[in-house]
Amino acid sequence: MLKMTNLSKVYRTHMIETHALRGFDIHVKEGEFVAVTGPSGSGKTTFLNIAGLLEEFSGGEFLLDGVNVKGMDDNARSKLRNEKLGFIFQGFNLIPDLNLFDNVDVPLRYRGFNAADRKIRIEDALGRVGLASRAKHFPAELSGGQQQRVAIARALAGSPKLLLADEPTGNLDTQMARGVMELLEEINSQGTTILMVTHDPELAARAQRNVHIIDGQVSDLLRETNASLAAVAATV
Amino acid sequence: MFAYYFTLGLRSLRRNPALTALMIVTLAVGVAASMATLTVLYVMSGDPIPEKSDRLFVPRVDTAPLVGYAAGDEPSDQLNYTDATNLLRSGQGVRRTAVYGVGNAIETGRADLPPFLAQGVAPTRDFFAMFNVPFLYGGPWDVATETAKSNVIVLNRELSEKLFGKTNPVGKRITMDSEQWQIVGVIDKWNPLPRYYRLINGNGGNFSGADEYFIPFQTAVRHEFSNNGNNNCTGEGPKEPGYQGWIASECDWIQFWFEGKSASDQARIKEFLAAYVTDQKKLGRFPRPINVRLENVMEWMKHLGVVGADTKLSTWLAFGFLLVCLVNTVGLLLAKFSARAGEVGVRRALGATRGNIFQQFLIEATVIGLVGGLLGLILSFGGLWLISMQSEEMAIVAKMDWAMLALTLALSIFASILAGLLPTWRACQVTPALQLKTQ
Repeated sequence: MLKMTNLSKVYRTHMIETHALRGFDIHVKEGEFVAVTGPSGSGKTTFLNIAGLLEEFSGGEFLLDGVNVKGMDDNARSKLRNEKLGFIFQGFNLIPDLNLFDNVDVPLRYRGFNAADRKIRIEDALGRVGLASRAKHFPAELSGGQQQRVAIARALAGSPKLLLADEPTGNLDTQMARGVMELLEEINSQGTTILMVTHDPELAARAQRNVHIIDGQVSDLLRETNASLAAVAATV
Repeated sequence: MFAYYFTLGLRSLRRNPALTALMIVTLAVGVAASMATLTVLYVMSGDPIPEKSDRLFVPRVDTAPLVGYAAGDEPSDQLNYTDATNLLRSGQGVRRTAVYGVGNAIETGRADLPPFLAQGVAPTRDFFAMFNVPFLYGGPWDVATETAKSNVIVLNRELSEKLFGKTNPVGKRITMDSEQWQIVGVIDKWNPLPRYYRLINGNGGNFSGADEYFIPFQTAVRHEFSNNGNNNCTGEGPKEPGYQGWIASECDWIQFWFEGKSASDQARIKEFLAAYVTDQKKLGRFPRPINVRLENVMEWMKHLGVVGADTKLSTWLAFGFLLVCLVNTVGLLLAKFSARAGEVGVRRALGATRGNIFQQFLIEATVIGLVGGLLGLILSFGGLWLISMQSEEMAIVAKMDWAMLALTLALSIFASILAGLLPTWRACQVTPALQLKTQ
């Protein structure tokens, strides 16, 4: 689904060169739920931005669903992003003056679906997150958890193959966070690949696989290993 | 997608309502000031007869005495009777007319309508075809009538209705100057702006007033009707007393028009005029060096300064003001759009290309322009009303037609697009990754 090989990202100013990612290798298979963890400044967000085609990379290879994205122009990247990817952000990032229906409609407009198709997809996506009855409400009228559900509906409406989540529960209380996490697990069980950046070890532990990033490089840990470590920690 | 972006633009008007209102008002005021002054300029300097303005010509010849001559002197704007009648007979162009103003008392014989003074003109029959004068009833007098210098008259619609109501009066007679005149035609509404065919002392001004009746030029002369207009004598003036002395003099009082077959006739007729002056010199006339002019309608209006310099200046000033308003709008749009960087980031992440964002924001600026234009239109009417309060003449020119109405909206939309270009370009440069994290 997503394959990065020897990827690097260098930020240059006239004074300094900062290597955000170096020799970065990762392979996320179709249907996986991968949690990306790491300390602040380790390169998690840079990785997610590159994975989401929001930023260019400096070197290496990157295949997204078999498509080599190296050297793609802005329009082609936008099209690929629209067709293959769904985004969930920590701050929800809903457009405040659009109601829920119109918020979910945004990616579908750029895809060029006709009005009838869009309506079916929007109602279906809002239904999946349990907010079908509130389609005419505006984001400000919803709780944080509900807003994140709308963001998930928006991400799902275009049937993406890969869902990128950046701290999706970071702005939510424990109960709401649990609800959102359960929703993501359900979506994953229906076949959507999920790549989630999180600081929360408990959430990370629920993913099938953890990718730990330190100093712009990957240290891959299997979920099982993670679980056994947790079990050892519990017995100590 | 245009409809989608347009709807988003309309919705966006509600966002930052104070800022949006300020932009709309700024744009509207600029547009209104420009359009109000431009409308006046447009009416004043408009081509009153676009289909043939380039082949209607006014001849001017310099008959003044040698005394006081300075090279570069302009010939007089009118002709004397001798030259006018010579040029009428010249056969130059396809049509010719001499025009002078007449004013006579019309006696109705009716108790409810006492005798009144009416203002008219005395042209040749060519006049009506030359200036595309529309007829409601009848038509111009015929050649035989003109040659016979008969008492025939063409009324304008207002005078006809005043005398005969809404009925067709052709064939009836009226009493004017104690003689009977047979009505041969009634012209329909005809108000060319400016009144180019008789700019020197028309009945009214360059823009207001109307000629109430038309009688044949030679009939008016036969009746010895004096000129109701500007008489100009350089040098000695009439040598003989009375009307015959007047028409034999070098005093000029007649306006003259040629109609050419095409615009190229202008050079040919001008050559003829020079040849004519050369011939007349042999008769002891035209003491000055040959100095002839032949101007088409627009050149003639320019020569007479129909559009005042102050009108042009105020239009320039108004457009300068619009520019200031535009710069302000650019600033306000920058503020409005930069507050939307987060939305741009989200839309880009969800698949919008830079082109999509560009279209969306430019259409949003257009919506502001459209609303600003509608408000500007209302303010323009207000501005024109203020201008029309200045004088009766201004009241006539300060009127907006459909073309100016459409131009107002177009100008506002164009201005808003222009103002929106920089802010829209800036919006397109938003780095989505940065915005999504900072939201």
